[in-house]
Amino acid sequence: MTYPPGTPYGEPQPGPYGGQPQPGYGQPPPGYGQPPQPGYGQPPPGYGPPPPAPTGTTLNPHTLPDDDNVNPYVFCVSLAGDWFMSKGAMLAYYGDVRFEAVTEYTSVQAWVAARFSSPVYVQDWVVATGRGKVLIGDRGFDLNAYDLDAGNLTIKANNLCAFSPQLELKQSIVPGFVTLIGTGKFIASSNGPVIFVEPPFRADPDALLGWADCPSPSVHHDAQWMTQNIRGMISGALGRASGEERQYDFTGSGTILLQSSEVAREDPAVLRLVESQTQLLTNAQAGSLGQRLVARAQQQQH
Amino acid sequence: MPFEQVNSKVVRARVGPASPVLARRGAMLGYSGQVTFRPVHGQGRGIGGMVGAAMSGESNPMMATEGQGEVLYGYKGLHVTVLELDGGAPLVCEADRLLVHDAALQTSVQFLGSGGIKQAIGGAMTGQGLFTTNVHGRGSVALLSHGGAFPLQLSGTQVGVDPQAYVGHVGQLTVDLAAKVGLRDVVGRGSGEAFQLRISGYGTVYVQASEQKF
Amino acid sequence: MALLTAHKRVLHADLQGDRIRAASGSMVAVEGTVDFKNAGMGGGGGMRAALKRAVAGESLSLMDCTGHGRVYLARDAMDVLVVDLAGDTLTVESEHVLAHTEQLRLDVQFAGLRGVTSGQGLATTTVTGHGQVALVSEGPVMALEVAPGQDLVVDPDAYVGSRGQLSMNLVSGVSWKSLVGEGSGEPFSLRFTGHGLVLVQSSER
Repeated sequence: MTYPPGTPYGEPQPGPYGGQPQPGYGQPPPGYGQPPQPGYGQPPPGYGPPPPAPTGTTLNPHTLPDDDNVNPYVFCVSLAGDWFMSKGAMLAYYGDVRFEAVTEYTSVQAWVAARFSSPVYVQDWVVATGRGKVLIGDRGFDLNAYDLDAGNLTIKANNLCAFSPQLELKQSIVPGFVTLIGTGKFIASSNGPVIFVEPPFRADPDALLGWADCPSPSVHHDAQWMTQNIRGMISGALGRASGEERQYDFTGSGTILLQSSEVAREDPAVLRLVESQTQLLTNAQAGSLGQRLVARAQQQQH
Repeated sequence: MPFEQVNSKVVRARVGPASPVLARRGAMLGYSGQVTFRPVHGQGRGIGGMVGAAMSGESNPMMATEGQGEVLYGYKGLHVTVLELDGGAPLVCEADRLLVHDAALQTSVQFLGSGGIKQAIGGAMTGQGLFTTNVHGRGSVALLSHGGAFPLQLSGTQVGVDPQAYVGHVGQLTVDLAAKVGLRDVVGRGSGEAFQLRISGYGTVYVQASEQKF
Repeated sequence: MALLTAHKRVLHADLQGDRIRAASGSMVAVEGTVDFKNAGMGGGGGMRAALKRAVAGESLSLMDCTGHGRVYLARDAMDVLVVDLAGDTLTVESEHVLAHTEQLRLDVQFAGLRGVTSGQGLATTTVTGHGQVALVSEGPVMALEVAPGQDLVVDPDAYVGSRGQLSMNLVSGVSWKSLVGEGSGEPFSLRFTGHGLVLVQSSER
């Protein structure tokens, strides 16, 4: 397994502000007593040659990279056949490309159903078919390609953007995560560059992007935090769930992928997931759960 | 112990028995080693700090990180700027900009601006932070900003800064709150009163490339 | 001459006694003596353009910045790009305009029916003349070339603007229709044909 991200687009900007001046306009004119600011001026290392045109690099189907990043936030898939793509990930494309819902595809093409074995997520995905260059992006987040070689990697479902049909997608037992298995390439986004760490490690659930090769995590509750917070609540200060009281605990050997905790985005699959589990409840239990949810919704309105 | 800038949005702090850190709650991304977290209430040391915090809304829920290990901090994908304070002039910033700092650093709440009480009330109503946090001492501090903070060096000059874009400052600087008449027209619709921070003297002002407060 | 320089997410506007126009509320810092004045809606093209704009829902509120000094302009930590125009025309979604030099003219062009479905308003803004215009985008802008036999299809939310002899059509094939009603996705796309450059940002937001 290889992890190409990190170096080429890792934007290791030590300066307070990673200035990358647009070329073509030279230096700002002197005259306002403004010394060159530290951190400005030097393009961050690892970026390619600066774009020559004032409207950025001019790209066409021939100059776009083959299955590689165009910039830290955009990936170009060189399509010749099929790819699975998250609905909404497509920014632009050249060539003859069709997008069809996975739900429609499964009835016609049996292999799709075999590859995409996650009914909860199936509605959020399309199959891109044809020949061309497809540019994908996700909320302006950093994009990275991961090559699996007879391996497996579990990743936050919200951050998975696309994967080649040689890979198989399965739902992880950790809610909100999916596992990719086999040999092939997939593209995932992260808020800020991905940080790779090794176990033993405890990760905040919001910051956890995924993991490879190590056993699934267990949940660790911080006993001291809990008691302190209860004491705090008693002494009048409001105790808030902030994430510090609960972490995912990784042990064994493998790699853990982290990102800067993101602003929670609604994952439509979570609703479906929870709803499907309510079948375990008796009618009376379901009724009381309903009442509690209504009460919560009303509370949050105030 | 200086913080290590992992990338533009994440810092790593090495915590030891003699070097705990204070961080914004909810900002811990992950850790290795024997590390514990303890919520701390109130800001700053001493009565003045506490009262000021309560009055101004500058109280930011913080937590202490103690033990031995390495901890990653980041917050909602905001950019992080690490500053080393040399024990000279304090860092002045709004409390919610503080991601993490050495526990050895002292924080206190300060009233910012000299525009008089009327303007102060006006400012409070528009939600501008007129009360700010001072960070004193020698050590590392990591500040949050939307899109990164860029420094403006002042050497006896003056700069006007949008309060929403103001991140903090270090140095021998005076800050005045001025109602910018011209800007009031500009912002006009919906945006309320337009204030400008007029900062002059010798030092560095940090400004973010966004008018988003958090 | 006023000079606009992009520094990643901040635009430096250096004024030498002249004037630029900038999106209202985009000033984050200012050095020197600069006056800000509301330039009203539209910022150019006169009353007729303003009226067109109001009808079209293409809203763009601009302010005049006049004086000597440097103005730092930014919006929502978006990336800044400066485009030089030498008598040609740039078509741009108004929400992406951060600032422009005085000599440029902004006008509204009706996109016709094809604009309705894109969710970007009925009209687009055109910038003409000699000077500089600064655009903001989510992530860096890519300039994608369009040539005969080399059509480009773009998600409306990723579209920033275009230059050249281009025509824009709506793509909503059968395959696209099947996606409608299943939550977010890209039910419509814009197909560009002709000869020119299309500016695309890195986010579909």
